[in-house]
Amino acid sequence: MRRSSPARTAVIMIVLLAALVLFMFPVIWMFLTSFKDKGEYFSYPPVFWPKSFSLRNYFNSMAFPPDGRGGLQGFRDSLIIALSSTFASVLIGSLAAYSISRFKTGGENFSFWILSTRMFPPVAAALPLFLIFKQLKLLDNHLSLVIANTIFNLPFVIWLLKGFFDELPVELEEAAWLEGCGHLKTFRLISLPLVAPGLVATSLFSFIFSWNEFMFALLLSRRTVRTLTIIVPSLVGGHEILWGEIAAVGTLAIIPGVLLSLLLQKYLVRGLSLGAVKG
Amino acid sequence: MSEPISLGMRNGFFTRLWKRRVPILFVLPAAITLLAITIFPLIYELRLAFMSWELTTSTPARFVGLQNFGKALFRDQRFWNSMGVTMRLIVFGTSIQLVAGTGLALLLNRLRRSRTILVSLFLIPVMIAPVVAGFQFRMIYHDQFGPLNYIIELVTGGGWRGFAWIADPKVALFAVMFTDIWQWTPFLMLIVLAGLQSISPEMYEAAEVDGASRRQTFARVTLPLILPVIVIGILIRAMDSFKLFDIIYLVTGGGPGDITETISFYTYLQGFKFFSVGYTAAMAFLQLIVITIIAQVFVRFQKRQTGRM
Repeated sequence: MRRSSPARTAVIMIVLLAALVLFMFPVIWMFLTSFKDKGEYFSYPPVFWPKSFSLRNYFNSMAFPPDGRGGLQGFRDSLIIALSSTFASVLIGSLAAYSISRFKTGGENFSFWILSTRMFPPVAAALPLFLIFKQLKLLDNHLSLVIANTIFNLPFVIWLLKGFFDELPVELEEAAWLEGCGHLKTFRLISLPLVAPGLVATSLFSFIFSWNEFMFALLLSRRTVRTLTIIVPSLVGGHEILWGEIAAVGTLAIIPGVLLSLLLQKYLVRGLSLGAVKG
Repeated sequence: MSEPISLGMRNGFFTRLWKRRVPILFVLPAAITLLAITIFPLIYELRLAFMSWELTTSTPARFVGLQNFGKALFRDQRFWNSMGVTMRLIVFGTSIQLVAGTGLALLLNRLRRSRTILVSLFLIPVMIAPVVAGFQFRMIYHDQFGPLNYIIELVTGGGWRGFAWIADPKVALFAVMFTDIWQWTPFLMLIVLAGLQSISPEMYEAAEVDGASRRQTFARVTLPLILPVIVIGILIRAMDSFKLFDIIYLVTGGGPGDITETISFYTYLQGFKFFSVGYTAAMAFLQLIVITIIAQVFVRFQKRQTGRM
């Protein structure tokens, strides 16, 4: 490839950094707002840098008015739902992915059918799921949200893990079969540990998708269960705009996403393109 | 006479099934779970779509045939308005994301060591919850205290104080679209960059030997080679934009009027604010038809790609 001259590289760097400022600005603005007091965010011209970095908004947001169960509950519920649904979808998904990858179970059409269920619009599934969970008296319960998130992450998990199993050489498993290992034992002791990096990446993606999920949380929960993504909008529309507090919750809510975009660098391409593009 | 043959066939089928029992058992839990969101709700929803069932009245559900579909397709202007809004978001939003994303990818491709960290930072918008992104832009767009109007005032030297971004019918759709563009441009950047990285240096060397100019190299070598990746990116974004809901809910709530009401948002209103169960089911079905078409294109395209490799 043509090498760029140092001057050209400098220009490229400047353009990219300017673009980066644009892309980071909303996040930085929210971060700074989370430390401002009311007088600072309701002022014109807007205050960019808060006078003091007090954690008052963070403490306040943990126990919001009106019911006094704010951010802390949001964290608990988001964590319960994201962890459980990740565990369930990776457990079910890894078995299916292994079987599809190794034994071509169901053929090509079956695996592409799984992929196409990923595109199912949540709003189309929301009504039947709502009515079913209502019948089962599972509305406003962690379980309904765990189930909904598991179902919606499963196609992604299977498709991504299938890609990782595909790359595994089959010889090791064949050796295990010759030693008399059963399928399940081979899977558990040989194949699964070998795709550990893929398993971790897939789990983290699944976690973040559930953590960021909004529509099902909005439709299937009321008061007992309130995820972080529910708490943010419920306060935006209120009579009193609590920008500082919402910004504090928002800042805490994006920490997993920010960390994962740094941690998952290697797998981002694959994960975000449903395995369609190999990074 | 025919008995041994049919027995033999059944035997063959079952022995084959028995031989493959473990792979099938492995797939079974996933298959059942996925059937639970596709086939079962589809049948349930199809039944509802042929009924008039208003939860706000005590009238029991009754069969109305194709009336709900007729209402959506021929009598409900709001349905077509929301389809139009969604299509505009898909076409304009995705185009801008593609151009900006490709531009960034081409620049990043020229860097060496600093690329990794820059890509990670650019990707942050993709990984955060759309609701939080929506809240960030609610603050930025605020007509009195928001930084956007302040910057506009600074740049124009006080000549113009900007818009009431989310309340002004002229610009509200743009405000929503920009939030989505902000979140997803890095995604297209990422996959175009992956496409660029997979081009072998020999290709460029060959072009250079042949005396191709920079522009010719881009048009004849780079572009054709990253085209498959671009198509995949466009299809993924089209499917996601078709479902756009979170940002609408947070930034404008579909308003002012129905200017920013997407099909997902309108379906949500019909189902969970007006409680028209039958009508919501019919609209959901119509959306499924659209998404199935896009998904089929995606799947066919990917099958062809993997077949070629």
